[in-house]
Amino acid sequence: MDFQSLVDLHYAALYRFAMSMTRTESDACDLVQQTFLTWAAKGHQLQDTSKVKSWLFTTLHRYFLASRRRSTRFPHLEITGVEAELPNVEPDQVRHLNAQDALHMLSQVDKQFQAAVALFYLEDYSYNEIASILEVPLGTVKSRIARGLAQLRELVLNKAAPPGKATGGTT
Amino acid sequence: MTSSEAREILLLYRAGTADAADTEMAEALALARQDPELGRWFEQHHAFQKAMRAGFRQIEVPAHLKASLLIQKPAQRTFVTPQVWWRRPVWLTAAAAVLLVLGLIGAWLKPRVPDRFANFQSRMVGAAQLAYRMDLETNDMQQVRQLMASRGAPADYDVPPALEHLQLTGGGRLTWRSNPVAMVCFDRGDKKMLFLFVMKRSAVKDPPPKTPQLAKVRQMLVASWTLGDNTYVLAGPEEADFLKKYL
Repeated sequence: MDFQSLVDLHYAALYRFAMSMTRTESDACDLVQQTFLTWAAKGHQLQDTSKVKSWLFTTLHRYFLASRRRSTRFPHLEITGVEAELPNVEPDQVRHLNAQDALHMLSQVDKQFQAAVALFYLEDYSYNEIASILEVPLGTVKSRIARGLAQLRELVLNKAAPPGKATGGTT
Repeated sequence: MTSSEAREILLLYRAGTADAADTEMAEALALARQDPELGRWFEQHHAFQKAMRAGFRQIEVPAHLKASLLIQKPAQRTFVTPQVWWRRPVWLTAAAAVLLVLGLIGAWLKPRVPDRFANFQSRMVGAAQLAYRMDLETNDMQQVRQLMASRGAPADYDVPPALEHLQLTGGGRLTWRSNPVAMVCFDRGDKKMLFLFVMKRSAVKDPPPKTPQLAKVRQMLVASWTLGDNTYVLAGPEEADFLKKYL
């Protein structure tokens, strides 16, 4: 596969992932650009061509972390107990959700959950693959997604609730 | 499995993916079909997941991104795959030699045709927006000129007097259709950049006139002109009196 075909296949998905984390078009474009430049320099070292896509996502995520100077590992969070934090979200409250809403809400989720949640929604990766891309244990990925989703649901309720009204209760 | 445990598991369920193949997930799904309360919760959660997923997938990709990615020709462009006989070094060397000879013959026979200025201008704006990387960070114009001279790019360029009052941040050597291009970067004063691109006028068949021409290209203002042997493109963020301020 040549460089152009590689770009054709993956640049849009990489951009959406980058945009989910940066929320800035220019930053997202820079991350994608840097990722493909790295591929041009080092991609030949990858023997297994089936792993190209996850390699690109991992590389982009590393650049994102570097740009945010977030090299320290986040603590593992247990998934147990998250369910109790989940408020009910009625279908009407999310029916008209668009990309801008999704990005805005994701920006309000704890930063350590954002990349996992973005990959969860953007790509049909398995949890093992997401863990591999983010270079964290499987349990950490699951807990990040679970807690991220709980925060998103809370945000959806806040968005839908009239000013001053409390959010929905937990189930 | 309790209803509470099933909710924890179903929280991570994504319809239409391999998630359903997971045994725990399958068990939780079965329980949701039997337990009305859990089933209602799951229905709501599914609607939420569907809407969020659709929201994320609506993120628009900038139209210029792909072109910008393809601007810079990477040196390494192919995967390394398990070697087959025709990919062994001896055959590759022979094939490369034949291609090289054919290429040289083709290049020799075909007269070099300079290309259109509009394409150069558009590519440079693309570089300014995304793909540029300064080879040298300095506020010393002499160092930038030395860099360009050492790398075969125009070094004898004229910097408009108004630009000389701005903060020089550095420069880089780019290429356009194998022609070296000098890129000189200025800080406008508010951390927004102005880019001066200089290339030999002979590289394009329709260089701009001596009087600067103003155009808007990909959300940037671009002034272009030709002076002496060089063709110039000045690109920066949109603002009033662009020509008057900088040229």
